[in-house]
Amino acid sequence: MKYVIGIDLGTTNSALAYTEIRPDADPFDMPEVRLMDIPQLVNPGEVRDEPLLPSSLYVLGATDFPAGSVALPWDAEPPFVTGRLAQKRGVENAGRLVASAKSWLSHAGVDRTAPILPWNAPEGVPKLSPVDASSRYLDHLRRAWDAKMPDAPFTEQQVLVTVPASFDAVARELTLQAAERAGFRDVTLLEEPQAAFYAWIERHKDWRERVKLGDLILVLDIGGGTTDLTLIAVTEQQGELALERMAVGEHILLGGDNMDLALARLVAGELAEKGTRIDTLQLHALWHNCRVAKEKLLAPGARTKEQPVTILGKGTGLVGGTIKATLRREDIDRVLGEGFFPRVSSSEMPQRQRRMGLQEIGLPYAADAAVTKHMAQFLRQQASSAEHERVRRGPSGLAAPTHVLFNGGVLHARLIRDRLTEVLDSWLAAEGFGPVQPLAGEDLMHAVSRGAAYYGLARDGRGVRIRGGVPRAYYVGIESAMPAVPGMASPLKALTVAPFGMEEGTSVRIPGREFGLVVGEPAEFRFFSSSVRKNDAPGAMVEDFGDDLQELSPMEVNLTSTDGTGTVPVSFETLVTETGVLQLWCVARDGGRWKLEFNVRERVAQ
Amino acid sequence: MGRIWLAIRSFFSILFSGSLPEDALTTLGLTRRGAPKPQTASTTAGPRPSDGALQMLSILQRDARVIDFIMEDIVAYTDDQVGAAVRSLHDQARESLARYVKLEPVFDGVEGTFTKAALSDPAAVKFVGNVLAGKPSGGLLRHKGWRAGKIDLPPLNPKQDSSILAPAEIEVE
Repeated sequence: MKYVIGIDLGTTNSALAYTEIRPDADPFDMPEVRLMDIPQLVNPGEVRDEPLLPSSLYVLGATDFPAGSVALPWDAEPPFVTGRLAQKRGVENAGRLVASAKSWLSHAGVDRTAPILPWNAPEGVPKLSPVDASSRYLDHLRRAWDAKMPDAPFTEQQVLVTVPASFDAVARELTLQAAERAGFRDVTLLEEPQAAFYAWIERHKDWRERVKLGDLILVLDIGGGTTDLTLIAVTEQQGELALERMAVGEHILLGGDNMDLALARLVAGELAEKGTRIDTLQLHALWHNCRVAKEKLLAPGARTKEQPVTILGKGTGLVGGTIKATLRREDIDRVLGEGFFPRVSSSEMPQRQRRMGLQEIGLPYAADAAVTKHMAQFLRQQASSAEHERVRRGPSGLAAPTHVLFNGGVLHARLIRDRLTEVLDSWLAAEGFGPVQPLAGEDLMHAVSRGAAYYGLARDGRGVRIRGGVPRAYYVGIESAMPAVPGMASPLKALTVAPFGMEEGTSVRIPGREFGLVVGEPAEFRFFSSSVRKNDAPGAMVEDFGDDLQELSPMEVNLTSTDGTGTVPVSFETLVTETGVLQLWCVARDGGRWKLEFNVRERVAQ
Repeated sequence: MGRIWLAIRSFFSILFSGSLPEDALTTLGLTRRGAPKPQTASTTAGPRPSDGALQMLSILQRDARVIDFIMEDIVAYTDDQVGAAVRSLHDQARESLARYVKLEPVFDGVEGTFTKAALSDPAAVKFVGNVLAGKPSGGLLRHKGWRAGKIDLPPLNPKQDSSILAPAEIEVE
């Protein structure tokens, strides 16, 4: 038996789904995608199957748990705990908890291969790199699979790991490294919003009757820690409906956890007014209780206008120490409705973070919490690209989706879905279009892993596949040959090395530009990407790009030659592998090739 | 015990098993040398019968702080205060109980309606009120009863002292 395994490596939770590969399967009646429960420690000495693996890792100390109580079926003495128990214990002792490793993986401001997590660990606590931490979760999933499916070894299956659409080439490469370190073989990366859309296709075999040529689908994925946006167009290919991914949004560190924390802070503020102060541990308890209370208030058919939230006394005096507060429905409406999902016009852009002279290093959380403004910016950005006439646009240039697909735990709440559709509808009305059609998603927590497993079949030609290619254009920076002016950076030009939408399994030779590289010395190139410039052809030189381009980690190459020294003229060749990884090569006139590697060890100049 | 009978039993017992029977020893007032002493509770050998009960208590304390609640003197607190604490405790205790012990009614009927008594084991059904002689055929279901369907407790750690129901907590500043 052979399977496709879809892994949703999430910021806060990970999941695994799988499906059988049947060589004779009917393309219109695909085998069912199933979810695998993941055995994990939920309490000391208690291993239990849970539908999700919290992406939390706890670095064990000598005094944390009784001897022998963190054994897993496949590891008697692990140095770390991953999953539910790590999450629980991390609340009590945050200094040893690694959380949101995935967000660190995409953070260019730090060395992502250096042991830096837990970020606030006290002296003496062993640290891990974001790549290591991610590989630990993947390793747990691999071993869990092997424990449950002894007849189908994990390494012999086809594996898909999802990444946010907003992950750039570096973060994707690092994710792949993490997977390899976890003992994965035969891994393919897939973008999460696409996976969510595949899950919808999997659930709706008649999807061809639900969308039509020219439709534009906005996939809005709000998870625990991140928000991800993607546009998919319904196109035609050889007389058949096809799907094409048109655009992806930027990486927005904003999710459900922020919303629950905002509610907890509101309640904590009310308590403080009454003279009750709470500490960090109590705030964590309140955070959790606010989430539960919010879910109860927003549950379908909920009639109550308020829910009590309590923080139990810390000592043995339970009742005496209990702090009581209330979360009201109107609080939720205000905090979520005005703070996170305000009614705004499509021209309101999120506030940019003010650049401070000294910025605290840490995760670059979104400065503006308004998801609707981020959505406006995303749809607005598509206005700048003239081609892609398949994207339906309003008179102002705003990309105008016909359908919206929701994904992520936050969007379980009808209140939020309704608000988002309402806002989208108002924008569409202003552009002269009718309202947007929500596509009914199901099982928002598992859609990504399900969709990934489905995609595995689609890749084998059994099912529809979304065409997309690289969701950004990539550039190599070239310093202008101009005299340097003190206080001004020398003007930089950018050479397009990978055009937007370059497809998997293709390569392109960059014409008309050669560089002389010194043999035996590492050469470094500044590397940029853009998710808004869509019309730059390979080899095109871009000047005055302003904010359009973001700098990534530099790329370096070390030419070794049997000749010893000298200068070799080389040109660039870009390759996108079948697994969705971008590679840049230097090619000499005589055909010699050297691969450029990301240098994530050095800090990127901001 | 008759003397002849005792003699015959002792004869055959020594002939076949090499020792006197237990009752013959008592009658003759003898004790066996090097007889095995009654087993004393040992801390290293296997779980004790009480461990499961302690484990359940410990789980209810861990997840819902039931021991804290029951051991606290709540006379001085207002109903409001007690209510606030109980609400959260109740949710968690219920969730935790449901996870480890599947509770089901002994009689799955509607309380207050007539029910035929299918069982007659006094441990499972208790007849109350005007009970006639013989096995009653039925009556009003007053209480459905509880039965632990499936118990799914995690294995005990043999190295751990099960008498610790909740660890002391020390916060390092």
